[in-house]
Parts: sequence; C-alpha cells; structure tokens
Amino acid sequence: MAESHLSLGNNSALHTSAVCCRVQSGRYRITVKRDRPLTYEMANPPHFIGHRKSWNSWNTSTLKDALRPSQTAIEDVFIRKFITGTWHALVCSEIIIKRQHNMIRIAAIIRQAIHPRKMYFLIGYTEELLSYWMQCPVTLELQTVADKKDVVFKYI
Amino acid sequence: MLQVLKSLRLTQPTRFASALSSTVTNTSSITADASSAVNSGEPDKLYSKLEIELRGIDPAVLKSYTWFATTAAEHLGIELGKCWSPRKAHHERMTLLKSVHIYKKHRVQYEIRTHFRYMNFHKLTGSTLDTFLEYIERNLPEGVALQAAKTELQQLPAHLQQPPEQV
Repeated sequence: MAESHLSLGNNSALHTSAVCCRVQSGRYRITVKRDRPLTYEMANPPHFIGHRKSWNSWNTSTLKDALRPSQTAIEDVFIRKFITGTWHALVCSEIIIKRQHNMIRIAAIIRQAIHPRKMYFLIGYTEELLSYWMQCPVTLELQTVADKKDVVFKYI
Repeated sequence: MLQVLKSLRLTQPTRFASALSSTVTNTSSITADASSAVNSGEPDKLYSKLEIELRGIDPAVLKSYTWFATTAAEHLGIELGKCWSPRKAHHERMTLLKSVHIYKKHRVQYEIRTHFRYMNFHKLTGSTLDTFLEYIERNLPEGVALQAAKTELQQLPAHLQQPPEQV
C-alpha cells in the first residue's frame, strides 16, 4: 500500500533548469521579506515593450535604411550616465530621450530633495554642456515628485 | 509617464533649426523660393501628386500622425488620395549566441520592426504644397521618418510643341 501511494506521482518536486535555458534579462528576484520597491518600468520585463511599456529612447536611427544607429546609441548611453551623475540620487525614473529634427528632449522624474534654485542651476548646466557636446539644442523636461515612494508600483 | 509624450502640434520651440534631416525632398529651401516666385510674377508650379511615405517604430504613433496630416489637408482644401499601410511590418532579425563562451544550442533572438504608412495627396499648387509639407515636417513626432515625392506638371517645352518636319 505504501509503495503504490509513493509511485502515484510526486507533485512537490522543484522545477530546475540550467541558467542558459531561462531568460534573466530585466527581471528582478523576489526577496524573502517582499519589500524591494519596483517602478512600473522595472516591474514589466522587456517582452512587454510595445504592449505594456514603451521605449525609452525615441529616434529614427533604428528604422530601415536609417542613419547613424550606433552613434545615436552611444550618445544615449552618455546622456543617461551624465544625467544620473549630475542629478545624483535624485532621478526616480528611467530617462526618456527623444530626438526630433535636430533637437534632443530629455525627460525624467526628479525627487524634490534640493532647493528649486539649485534645480534651475542644474537644468541650465546640463542643457548647456550637453548641447555643446552633442552640437544640437538640448531641452530638459523634468517632472518632480515629493517622495520616491510615489513612483513605486509594487514591492517584490 | 512612460507613455509617448506627444509633441505639441501647435506650439514649436523657437530653437528649431532649418535642417530637416529626417526628410528627403526634391527642393532644398522651401519658403524662400516660394515667396520669391510668387512675388516676381511667375505662375505657381502645379503638382499632380504628393506621395508621402512614413516609417516608424510604433504603429499607433503613425496612425495618429496620419489622422493629423489628413485633417490638416482637409482644412487646407487638399484632395486626399489613398492612405494605406501594409498589413505586416518589416522585421530585421538577429539570432545571437546567448552565452559569452560556449553553449551553441542556446541563442537569443532580437528583432527591430519598421512599420510603413503611405499617404497620397492630389492636385496641389506650389505654395500650398510647400506650406503643407513644411507644416507636416515641423510637427513630425520623434521616431517617425517621412519621405516625400512630388510629381510636378509642366508645359511641354517650346521646341517639342510642334511635331518635327522630318522624322
């Protein structure tokens, strides 16, 4: 009796796969205490781009027969690093970069941790330096948020 | 916050520069030629067809832009031709190895989709076409590329108007 009960099928086995067989990109591991904050962007893995998410950089360089895709990508990486460094620990969202004609528009959500006068200085500083480096007009379109908990979508 | 921030169609920042890099048009400077031609008493050019090809990443953006362009054409009194888009997009696919060193059997696939949309406008005058095209181009959203082809109507040149005596 005991042997037949055991051989009916073990429903509590763990599912294991080698790391190569599963996708790890853009996914965050669940913590034991379930207190890791995720924004909406972080909560949706990359296969939802185009469905529940939209892109972070908008330009025509990746279209068919388009110009300078690699230079645009490197410029985007540089802009993101520069913004994250200049507004250190203040940026609460992903940095959205849009290119229209020869203008670059950068959008982000910033925490209200510094005085507005300092924010205006940083905006002017960023725009001036980036437009000198990219050789085109750069506009910063920032939104501020009082508390970084306002951008949290769920806790994992 | 992560949705497309639609550019304001009516207000444009004053820092707009004259080089429109995302378009391919036949004439280089638009408004200067038009105003000088009209002022000097020459008759306006006539165009039988304006074909616009749009390429974009997001089909919803393309649809919304088409609605904007067709409404603008309606307000200007331009005759609208066929506006259509192919059912499927153009996919550029890359299949790369997932791992740095070995594991040839595990690959990762990326694809870039380009969606197309075509608009046709008929029977335009030179100044209407220049104004309309400039308005459309200034309000082009990010991530959308526009290609315009104009078909001009011209009188037969004088040496071809009469058939030649000896053939």
